[in-house]
Amino acid sequence: MTAATGMPAVTAAADVGELLQLLPVQRAGFALLLAAVGLPIVGVVIVGLDIMPVRFAMMHVALLGIAVGLLTGLDPVLCALVACALAGAGVAPLARTPDGLSGAMGLLMSLAIAAALLVLAVSGVNASGAFALLWGSILSVGTADLVVLGLLAAAVPGLFFWRRRDVALLLYDRELAQCSGVRVRGLTLVLLVLVAVAVAGAIKLTGALLVDALTLLPALAARRLGSSLKSITLWAVGIGVAVNVTGFLVALRLDLPPGPVLVLTAGAVVLGVHLIPERRISSWRATASVSPTASAPSSPSAWPRH
Amino acid sequence: MGGLDIRMRDVACRHGRVEAVRDVDLEVAAGERVALTGTNGSGKSTLLRAVLGLHRQWAGEIRVGGRGSRTAAEWAWRRRACGWIPQKPAGGRFPLLAQELLHSSGAPVEAAEAAEQLGVGGLMHRPLHTLSGGQLQRMHLARALGCVAAGAGVVLADEPTAALDFAGQEEAADLLTSLPVTLVVVTHDRALADRCDRVLEMAAGRLREVR
Repeated sequence: MTAATGMPAVTAAADVGELLQLLPVQRAGFALLLAAVGLPIVGVVIVGLDIMPVRFAMMHVALLGIAVGLLTGLDPVLCALVACALAGAGVAPLARTPDGLSGAMGLLMSLAIAAALLVLAVSGVNASGAFALLWGSILSVGTADLVVLGLLAAAVPGLFFWRRRDVALLLYDRELAQCSGVRVRGLTLVLLVLVAVAVAGAIKLTGALLVDALTLLPALAARRLGSSLKSITLWAVGIGVAVNVTGFLVALRLDLPPGPVLVLTAGAVVLGVHLIPERRISSWRATASVSPTASAPSSPSAWPRH
Repeated sequence: MGGLDIRMRDVACRHGRVEAVRDVDLEVAAGERVALTGTNGSGKSTLLRAVLGLHRQWAGEIRVGGRGSRTAAEWAWRRRACGWIPQKPAGGRFPLLAQELLHSSGAPVEAAEAAEQLGVGGLMHRPLHTLSGGQLQRMHLARALGCVAAGAGVVLADEPTAALDFAGQEEAADLLTSLPVTLVVVTHDRALADRCDRVLEMAAGRLREVR
């Protein structure tokens, strides 16, 4: 990619057109589109379950997986995905208490990095080689990454649509969900595994430090704009698509690394949304806004005792 | 008389090292209405939550409709059989629309009718965190009526009238005590307790019959 900064706009735009003809750029764009469908919904789960530190935890678990992969000769990225999935499943039982998951992420982070460093030291594997795999780039996306992102783009919205009432209840209140017949343990397990795999998969796209741009930031903006799980999910996907397309094209046009540009674009959207006065957002929300009527007389006789 | 009977034998509940409920033996006949009173922290809510398996550190035996709670399937049946009105229903961590809450009762149409009766029918499309405490409590009451319509034989209500105005308290008390189910209600509301068949008092985790 050549530097386009300072060139006339027409030439720069032509450069973007030419760049889009290149296979790695096409794959990157496709990957970002797939990511924009699945990952912001994962971000909604992260916000809903209040597990913001999950990215740090999964970064460290992924490093452990990579270390094990390098030690055993297996595909390190696959090992990282499996390790993250197992870690997500492993912390699911701790979701019983409100702050259980948040604390578990800290514990997981510490244990995983300690184990990773131990494995690297014992095996004599070059540690910087393992760390290098955490700094992914959108332009180096491979077929396996596209498959993972494609599966997530199908599975995550599919699960949300299929189990939308259960997910909404679980994210609102675990106990109420339990009393409403939702199988909270199983659903939490599935959601945490999806979150873990999605974060691990997204690491390859932007690098571990910038994963939030694809997951958390669209969800944070959507959380402020939507008033129900459905509307928040739709806002998150919409913002994800807009941010990914805009950020990627801007990065191509200005010849800048896409990861940081995506984060800055998403961050600008979050900031912009939070600067909008609450009353304006409220008028956008599709609420009935019907004022409470005076308490109508009840008719206990409607419930005859047998 | 409809409803399911509740039997508790030697029930004890702990919060860590603190024993919140001890030596509770209780038999509630099908269709009976029982008020559970007592000072704050005496273990009333904990006992109610133990019936639903929401409080996990408990021992003894609790049977509803003659069925225990050893397997996941039995717990699932128990939670279907018991409608629950939580104490001080919180706004929740994430938005939930009132209509979604009513839908979770298992009988959304009947729950919506109950919401209309209770004067909160116009708030169905509002997220719960935007409702006042009283409106939220009425919405939970409507949900409990939906649970009954869906087949629940017991209603476990934890201070269901605490956030209501005086007229609302009377109305909710009438509605709850007219349900064709077994009712166990934790309350400090004298009007509601007076409408029940029996009044029990908890003190320092122990239960005694008052009336």
